[in-house]
Amino acid sequence: MAPTTLRANKASKSKANTAGAGASSSSPSPHRTTTTTTTSFTTTTTHSSTSPATTPEAPKLKNLAVYRYATWLEENQLKKTAVWIAVAAAVLVRWTVGLGPYSGQGVSPRFGDYEAQRHWMELTIHRPIREWYSDKSKWWDLDYPPLTAYVSWICGFLGAKINPEWFAWETSRGYESTDAKLYMRSTVLVFELLIYISSIVVFTQRWFAHKPWTRQHTALLLILLQPGVILIDSGHFQYNTVMLGLVVWAVNFFLGDQDVLGSVAFCLALGFKQMALYFSPAVFAYLLGKSFRQGFFGCIWKLIKLGVAVILTLGLLFSPWMESKEEILQVVQRIFPVFRGLYQDKVANIWCAVNIVIKLRERFAIQDLIRFSTLATLLSFLPSLVHLIAKPTKRGLIYGLINSSLSFFLLSFQVHEKSILLPALPITLLILDEPALAALFNTLATFSMFPLLRQEELTMQYYVLLGFWVWITTGTFNNVSTLLKFLSALNLLVIVSMHLGEMFVAPPARYPDLYAVLNSLWSAAGFVLYWAYFNYRQFTLVNTPKMGFRVTKSKTHKLA
Amino acid sequence: MSIFAAYVDPKIVQVDNLNYDTLATIYFQRTTVIISELVLFWALQRMLVAMGNRPLQKIINWSLMLNPGLLMVDNMHFQYNGFLYGILVHSLVDAKQASSFSSEITSTRFGKLLRSGILFAALLNFKHIYLYIAPSYFAFLLRAYCFENSGNSIRARSWISAFRPLNFVALGVSVIAIFAASLGPFVAMDQLPQLAGRLFPFKRGLTHSYWAANFWALYSFADRIMIVLVSKTPLGQYFNLALDESALSATTRGLVGDTAFGVLPTVTAQHTLILTVLLQIPSLISVFRKPTFDRFIGSVVLSAFASFLAGWHVHEKAILLCTVTMSVAIANQVGASPNSGVNAGAFSTSDQKGSSALTPRDVRAFMIVSLAGYIGLWPLFFTRPETPIKVLITAIWFVVVGSGLDQCIPKQPKSNDTLLSSKSMLRYFSLLERLYVFGCIPVQIYVNIVHEAVFGQDRLAFLPLMMTSVYAAVGVVYGWLLYSATYFSSSKALDKKKTR
Repeated sequence: MAPTTLRANKASKSKANTAGAGASSSSPSPHRTTTTTTTSFTTTTTHSSTSPATTPEAPKLKNLAVYRYATWLEENQLKKTAVWIAVAAAVLVRWTVGLGPYSGQGVSPRFGDYEAQRHWMELTIHRPIREWYSDKSKWWDLDYPPLTAYVSWICGFLGAKINPEWFAWETSRGYESTDAKLYMRSTVLVFELLIYISSIVVFTQRWFAHKPWTRQHTALLLILLQPGVILIDSGHFQYNTVMLGLVVWAVNFFLGDQDVLGSVAFCLALGFKQMALYFSPAVFAYLLGKSFRQGFFGCIWKLIKLGVAVILTLGLLFSPWMESKEEILQVVQRIFPVFRGLYQDKVANIWCAVNIVIKLRERFAIQDLIRFSTLATLLSFLPSLVHLIAKPTKRGLIYGLINSSLSFFLLSFQVHEKSILLPALPITLLILDEPALAALFNTLATFSMFPLLRQEELTMQYYVLLGFWVWITTGTFNNVSTLLKFLSALNLLVIVSMHLGEMFVAPPARYPDLYAVLNSLWSAAGFVLYWAYFNYRQFTLVNTPKMGFRVTKSKTHKLA
Repeated sequence: MSIFAAYVDPKIVQVDNLNYDTLATIYFQRTTVIISELVLFWALQRMLVAMGNRPLQKIINWSLMLNPGLLMVDNMHFQYNGFLYGILVHSLVDAKQASSFSSEITSTRFGKLLRSGILFAALLNFKHIYLYIAPSYFAFLLRAYCFENSGNSIRARSWISAFRPLNFVALGVSVIAIFAASLGPFVAMDQLPQLAGRLFPFKRGLTHSYWAANFWALYSFADRIMIVLVSKTPLGQYFNLALDESALSATTRGLVGDTAFGVLPTVTAQHTLILTVLLQIPSLISVFRKPTFDRFIGSVVLSAFASFLAGWHVHEKAILLCTVTMSVAIANQVGASPNSGVNAGAFSTSDQKGSSALTPRDVRAFMIVSLAGYIGLWPLFFTRPETPIKVLITAIWFVVVGSGLDQCIPKQPKSNDTLLSSKSMLRYFSLLERLYVFGCIPVQIYVNIVHEAVFGQDRLAFLPLMMTSVYAAVGVVYGWLLYSATYFSSSKALDKKKTR
């Protein structure tokens, strides 16, 4: 596909979507409310004894295979076992993906993320804690915050009990064996199970607390089958789910009004991966806005509580390096390696797209770029931040998380392709509130990571999981506007044609990265639209007393 | 199939290229498996229609489609069983459709039966494992297709008048034609003895490398125990048992070779054949007396069991034959159960088709045989990365299908509710059966984890395999007894009802 047509598509897409966003949120809603009220009325009159499954929103999901499965479970009184089945299925999928190769498998000089994680386990069990961040072995430097280091220590400690060879000091650099891989994969899975999967289970229970069980279970299954997280963590090899899971735990606590616990969980997420900073504006705004509503003394008391919790958590995490200024600076420098440049490889954000026309990296000094990108990021999440401070609702919090993480992904400094998992998380949490959009976003996000996955020969896993995701979410596109249907079809068409093109047509010699660039352009265009759309959505949300209900203004008005 | 493969990569089809594996080859072969399994999917769709399209019927379908045995054997171990079982189910569905027509002589009915027979003959030529159930097919087709069938048993006098020579010839000719087409080239090249030798490896020994979960596993296990008893304790001298020293090393190694027994008498191929036939005959007689589909499918199951349990050099995979046919039988019964499902009302005795409805006993037998059989398959997948997969697949299957079938059991109006008050899916299971189901967990934990941690990889390597197969064999034999008890008692009960 030529870039010109692509740009034309993009233009038409953006123009159409701004019009469509308004249409999709305002025009169908009155219609929907009228129909739903009538259906609920008839059900209560005719079958007064039926289960509460026939609630207003239920018919919308009928074409979703997962929903039908959940209904079947409910009919057969399998609610209790269903969660275990879902978790077992999720683990099964992840394990099967894990049979495939990992990042840098057999790539001799430096290997990849797998080797980095393995090396950190080696480093943490063999070096004293204060040398973790100042080790000069010229191998993979530890560049994640302390919680990652602690987790590495646990994994390394247990692994060395099984086979000391895996983590022997220096001699194990680049060590590869099936058993070692098996052990590493299982550590990822165990942490994912303990933190991420459990958090999703609790999230669905809290988010759909006032909704039928079938919806709750549908959401659980869909969230657990989100392809991006599976491919990166179980395929590519990383521990993102620990951080994502801690963020979801924070959200869970916020949903239950346990704000102190929530902020502790969020600090732990920050202490695991600095990428959690993408979410921090929204969390900060939510907590601040909530404190403001407590009256003067209540506000101060709440802020003190939260502040103490945050300082204590972060302080404890960083305490081994607190003794001198140099030490803590060394840790911070390792964690924020600004020298790596504006972005890595081909990432689907604005800088990479602009770079095609203006060679930013050559033209500007790195300090200017940092300043400029930080300012741009700040500006782009500011509206959502202000709105959240003014109206700190629980639903608004999720939208705020989306908007701030998308802003960071699109505009901040030094972004990696994998960072799309961060905006994808809160969007996936809204899988039944914005079903079609969330499904489409995950398709696009997974596609944007394709160049990375192809490098690691995870294409088969990618095709299968993405295909499965598209298949199970087709049902979400039935009740949406024609425009969205068209966009999703167009997106699929572009994805399929790019994959086919890549398979059969070699890129011209002048542009060897043609497909990767096209991929990032297309995805970046989509993400910008999503940023605009979710900002719009956040501003049209209405504060509702019971969470998990009624989204738009007109709806609440009618039903109230 | 190899013709297509040549397009993808010509190296795949070179015969001398035995251990050739590249990623492309693996993908190609696996894709062919998945595509060929569409046949099974199609067959199951037909079955759904033929057996009465009830929502809960789908469970059985999915239980077959996502059968852990099939998934494991085909997609992990690599075989084309899904395709073959697809043909088998097609054939069975044809038989079912034929018998659901009224007993008047219609051409469609005979057409269906003929097609069923032809499909089965083709199946035999794909894989001779289906010989296990050939006797029931033979009995059923001979009786239902080649004789006049008025619904009642024929008196001895009218046997000859009821015989339909035209049908007999049609069936015979078509079956022979299929065999000729498949075996013809080999006959022409005079390779038949060699072919027969490959297909029927009587030289290979009584048990397969890992013991399949059958009688002989129990027999070998008993022998092992006797050996220990005889050699370690004075019991041997007391009973004057001789110990065959050469056997000591033979079975423990688990090689594909001749099996020798230390204490118990050696079993020969003739013995197994006679035993198999003896076990099959009762059900065959029952089918021949009254060729209803219920009886037919039941006898297919029982023949499969007989061959699996008593056959010579049975492979573990043969358990699939039992479980697949058994699930078709269960599907048939679910279809016959009145109001199965959520609103299952009173158990209606006036069953139009004369099919027996699903009983808890069937479900128990099915679940235990499946569980035992699939666990018996586990040793096929011995690498550590495969372990969680096999465990999870089997566990998910067991829970979903178990609780699904539990809902299919029609509720008795005046059953002792106090006893069944628990909502667990195992509520119909007796104490021993529950112990068996939960006993799997510690046994498998030992086999997969503890054993290696205690003894290392090389010492006593056969012990976990033996534990698995003996444990599975107990389950399979128990399930078989339970199922045959149901089969014979229900057919008797139906007969009684008729005579009244």
